[in-house]
Amino acid sequence: MSLSYRIAYVFLRNLYSYKRFIVPTFLVSLVEPLFYLVTFGIGMGAYMGAFGGQPYLHFLVPGVLATAAMMSSSFECLYGTYIKIVHEKVYDSLIATPVSADEAVAGDIAWASFRGLVSGSLMMAVALVMGVAPASLWRAALLLVFLVFIGILFGSLAMIVTSVAPSFDFFSYYTELVITPMFFFSGVFFPLDNFPGWMKTLAEFLPLTHAVRVSRAVFTGQPAPGLGWSLAGLAGLAAVVFAVSIRMMRKRLIK
Amino acid sequence: MGILVKAAGLTKRYGDLVAVAGIDFEIREGECFGFLGPNGAGKTTTVRMIHCVSPVTAGTLTVGGLASGINNRALKMITGVIPQEINLDNDLTVAENLVVFARFFDIGRREAKARIAELLRFVELEAKAGSKISELSTGMKRRLLIARALINRPRLIVADEPTTGLDPQARHLIWQRLRQLKTQGATLVLTTQYMEEAQQLCDRIVVMYQGRILKEGSPASLVETEIGREVVEVRVPPEDDARILAELTAFPCVHERVGDTLYFYCRDGHSLMRKLLELDLPNTLNRPATLEDVFLKLTGRSLHE
Repeated sequence: MSLSYRIAYVFLRNLYSYKRFIVPTFLVSLVEPLFYLVTFGIGMGAYMGAFGGQPYLHFLVPGVLATAAMMSSSFECLYGTYIKIVHEKVYDSLIATPVSADEAVAGDIAWASFRGLVSGSLMMAVALVMGVAPASLWRAALLLVFLVFIGILFGSLAMIVTSVAPSFDFFSYYTELVITPMFFFSGVFFPLDNFPGWMKTLAEFLPLTHAVRVSRAVFTGQPAPGLGWSLAGLAGLAAVVFAVSIRMMRKRLIK
Repeated sequence: MGILVKAAGLTKRYGDLVAVAGIDFEIREGECFGFLGPNGAGKTTTVRMIHCVSPVTAGTLTVGGLASGINNRALKMITGVIPQEINLDNDLTVAENLVVFARFFDIGRREAKARIAELLRFVELEAKAGSKISELSTGMKRRLLIARALINRPRLIVADEPTTGLDPQARHLIWQRLRQLKTQGATLVLTTQYMEEAQQLCDRIVVMYQGRILKEGSPASLVETEIGREVVEVRVPPEDDARILAELTAFPCVHERVGDTLYFYCRDGHSLMRKLLELDLPNTLNRPATLEDVFLKLTGRSLHE
């Protein structure tokens, strides 16, 4: 792999272009969590009673935080990157400079991770206003670091999909068949305890399940069983997925 | 003058398709070297290998003594690329396009600022520094592509059909700028389908066809050796050919029938013209031979699709 400090240049390019979209994306990133937290947290939460001794909203927030980072980074590396390759030809001009194709891809993954961090942070801000806060300040900081990691993982995963996508429509397979089911079966909205055994096993294969588990443990300060395994699994998966995404994008970009 | 680019047996295959079929050429430092050929001849593929964005399948290709390769940053640092497709960054303004590119080449902020001002002046876009790309005409976009290609003060400039889709004014401005760059010492590699462009800019050209080089030389010498000095066109139906040619056996001209026209390639078109007028053929034209005649003779007159 040909990676260097030039990854930062690609990030910088994205930052320049972001100026155009910063207002709409901030609005979306603020409105979306409000929907979740108000409808599920307050509306539905009112019927759920105490959830492990706390209001339902406290259960919901850490899961939704991880989900927000996953969604933002995924969409950035699906649609954002695809547009830059096929429509805007940004990659064509990039790889004719000393910036390598590998760095261009890594720069976009870094950027997607940043977008995930922004979404997660905004969601955390909304939660704070609603009175749901991480157990301590350093836990909040740790959570932000974890959001960056989630962005790299899911950004790279989406990048693999983009590397073989013949058109926009192709992304629906990934969002509808992978992202959406993960959203519902990863313990974001309720604990997985009441699932039948095979579904529990299945859920353990979804990276979001582990991301939510870690996020919740960091947020609440309550240790969860198997937390170390979750972290190790996610780190291993991220490393593999990152390497594969760069390799596959190289195939698409260099002819 | 030294050799800057040297190719030997240069080959590019995409699966079973042979895009470049083992070609040899040398580009001298400081000259303008043109690749001419119809669509699909392998021109763009060849220059993409020269500027290190497409891997070489077989053969050798060196630039400044270094082997061309995808990860050869040293070569990319000294090369400026004016692409065929307008791939400016539409999310960025005119100046931002150059600022970001300067970063890609490790050029510091202050140095970049000075160069950008100078380059925008060079391509006459000073007034557009803050404009969006969508607000530019095609000619302005092409000029900005030139400015972008020059941000790293390249020793080698690769221009892939740099004037496609431009009106004559815009085209002449770009030609002037490219000639100016050459006088400043840059080596220029050009691909084009416009014969006038090749004649205006190139010291030497190669004519490519189906991945091979058919001929090499200066534009003038190619015209002289392949066609002669003059061309006489006679627009007559093919049935008349035998009758007309029988009258012209005394003239040392090569002839060719294409569609509705009979072409004669001559050293001296004048006496042939007089004879044709005697024969009372009204629809005749005597003109100097051009690179276009060479091109069509070498690559055939049928459509390349």
